[in-house]
Amino acid sequence: MVIEKTADKRTIGITSGNESVLAALVEEGLFASEIDAAKFALAHAIDLEISRGTTEGAGTKWNVGSVDSDGTMKAIIQALYPGEAQPYRLIEHLMNEGLGRLKSEEGLPPDVAGILFKDNLEGVAQDSSS
Amino acid sequence: MLRIKSLTMQDFGAFKGEQKFELPKEEGVTVFYGENMRGKTTLLNAFRFALFGKIIGRGRRSVSFHDMINWEARADGVRSFEVRLALSHAGAEYRLTRTCKPKSGHDAPTGHEDYVADYYLERGGHILPPQQAALEIERILPEQIARFFLFDGELLQEYEDLLYSDTDMGPKISQAIERILGLPTLTKSRDTLKAALDRAETRVALAAQGDQKTREYGNQLQNLVEERTVLTGDLFRHEKDLEDLRARKVAIEDDMRRKQRMATLLEKRDRLTDEVSELQTEITKKQEAITAAMSPAWAAIIVDKLKLTLARHLEREVELQSAATRAQVLHSLSKGHDPECPTCLQTVLKDAQTKIRAHLPDVDAGTEDDRNRELAGVRRQIDAINAQLETTNPQALRLLWSDFEAHRRSIYSKRGEIEEIKKKLTGSSEGEIKGLQREYESNVRQTAALENGIAETNGKLIENAGYRERLQKRLDKLAGGEMDVERRRRDLASTLHDMFNQSVGVYREQLRRRIEADASSYFKRLTTEEDYAGLRINDTYGLTIIHRDGSDIPMRSAGAEHVVALSLVAALQNNAQLRGPIVVDSPFGRLDGGHRARIVETLPEMADQIILLVYEEELPPARAREALKGRLKSEWTLERKSARHTELAQR
Repeated sequence: MVIEKTADKRTIGITSGNESVLAALVEEGLFASEIDAAKFALAHAIDLEISRGTTEGAGTKWNVGSVDSDGTMKAIIQALYPGEAQPYRLIEHLMNEGLGRLKSEEGLPPDVAGILFKDNLEGVAQDSSS
Repeated sequence: MLRIKSLTMQDFGAFKGEQKFELPKEEGVTVFYGENMRGKTTLLNAFRFALFGKIIGRGRRSVSFHDMINWEARADGVRSFEVRLALSHAGAEYRLTRTCKPKSGHDAPTGHEDYVADYYLERGGHILPPQQAALEIERILPEQIARFFLFDGELLQEYEDLLYSDTDMGPKISQAIERILGLPTLTKSRDTLKAALDRAETRVALAAQGDQKTREYGNQLQNLVEERTVLTGDLFRHEKDLEDLRARKVAIEDDMRRKQRMATLLEKRDRLTDEVSELQTEITKKQEAITAAMSPAWAAIIVDKLKLTLARHLEREVELQSAATRAQVLHSLSKGHDPECPTCLQTVLKDAQTKIRAHLPDVDAGTEDDRNRELAGVRRQIDAINAQLETTNPQALRLLWSDFEAHRRSIYSKRGEIEEIKKKLTGSSEGEIKGLQREYESNVRQTAALENGIAETNGKLIENAGYRERLQKRLDKLAGGEMDVERRRRDLASTLHDMFNQSVGVYREQLRRRIEADASSYFKRLTTEEDYAGLRINDTYGLTIIHRDGSDIPMRSAGAEHVVALSLVAALQNNAQLRGPIVVDSPFGRLDGGHRARIVETLPEMADQIILLVYEEELPPARAREALKGRLKSEWTLERKSARHTELAQR
């Protein structure tokens, strides 16, 4: 078991509690795939400065090759979290943490635009039209 | 001469409870003063309702019976209204009572269709059977000519259509004018003589068939006569169908006007639904664009962090690269691989090489490898961050989103409007309106087909008449015996028919000239413009103002239109077979004080009995008394009791 913890993951999973949030994000029609939505959640977690960690009970959903075919994401995680020896484990953790924070207690769909653009969209529209 | 004796209303519009007025027996003017919203137009409608069962609102739209029950009375549970009109005509006394009440089984009526208006007519105190009552009302005041007796400013405005042949209203008014002038009496006589002529021709054909010499011509003539009978029958039937279709068209238009508000709502709902559908298509396209742009969008959230990290990594790359280069140069110098210093380009002597070696730290191969690995790692991360930043365009994404959101807001707003409209639409209104629109379109198609059919039949009849005339001439040459008698009978009928046919034209022309002369005379008295010399009439009784230099005045104002229309109405009254009272609601429209004064002075000459509905500002009582003097017979006020309750009070 200790060996498993020290070696990086070859698969990435989503906890059952976060699956519904992932499904809701895709259902909104704004993401082409669950992987795109999970990456969005990951960025949200990074933005919130979630500290390093691991997520238990995430299971297996994708091979890391499906999520990060060219290793760019791994490199970025290593850049943002210097010295990280298990970037894919951290990626899985951040995806799950991000999804957890996208959950709405009112059962509303996640506010993707609100996260993406912290300022008002209408202001953007007016700026662009002027 | 038709005269109004009294009018009684029961919960009719603003007139709550029973309210009655009697008109003086003498000739003259009765004025009703009422401010806006007191019920002047309702009073005009009370006459219309009593006589024809119709109530007309602004824009010539029919008013729902449901809305005509006095509101306060309706709140008290009243579900009906009634108007009674006492009249005298040709020495007989009439009492016409029309009641509007809910149809059987409609205890809680909600719309016009839930009501029925019944009437009965008493003559000399005896109630007439329904059919006779209908004929009697048609005789006393035909609805077709009611516009010359009951009118308002809006109706006067329609007379301008007489000048234009391409309007629907122009021909209708022309027919009504000929009706009031009595032309149908002559045209009916002409038609009767035409029937007599047809019968005489048939007898000629029969007589010709009875003679050996003329049998062949007689047979041919008989065939033509039979063909004419069939064609005339077809024509009669088609004209009747056309008349029915036109009447139905008027009824449909009436219904459509009544449902105009609902139709407008439906039209708006359909338009909004189409717009929502178009927006939905747009949104789908925009969503696809966003979906494509969202794949690398995750980096947009942390773009600042990525840029900061990139800057640190670039610094670290420089540090590592400098250290590696420095170590490489010193190592090279200490070993004497390079005889010249790369900085000062002087030869490095042996002593100097020894000193450099002494100063060089003990660098093992492992440390150098670590540095190179770190440098490679930093460069890999720099490349990754750069690659991600290149594919992330937050500004473009924001524009896509804001456009998408604007479309979504527009859809929500339009869907909200649609929901509001749906709440206002009553259960069956959509089906009824669509049914009416379908029926209207079908009516227009059928009318066009019938008109074509009638034109074709008329053409065949002309052809038939030509053949018959040629045959008659041949028969005349061979005439003798029984046929001579029939021929003389035919010639007499033909002469009489020709005479009446011509007399219709002559009489119509005389009427037009008389109307033109009378209307001109009234016009000159009514207008304050001295340069206007009179009016010129056209074939359809349209009147054009003539300047004193003889030229036409091509354009005229709404005020001038009013004066021309009043001149026409007055001229028609002068020349009408049927004379009666004039009830006029706010006839002054946009007229100035000078024109108003002249109209008031001339009014008593237009009819023996005039009922004028005005508000005091357009005709102050003092000015009315001064202008009318002894011809002003009584004055009434429409007194406000509440917004929904007006009472009639004699002044």
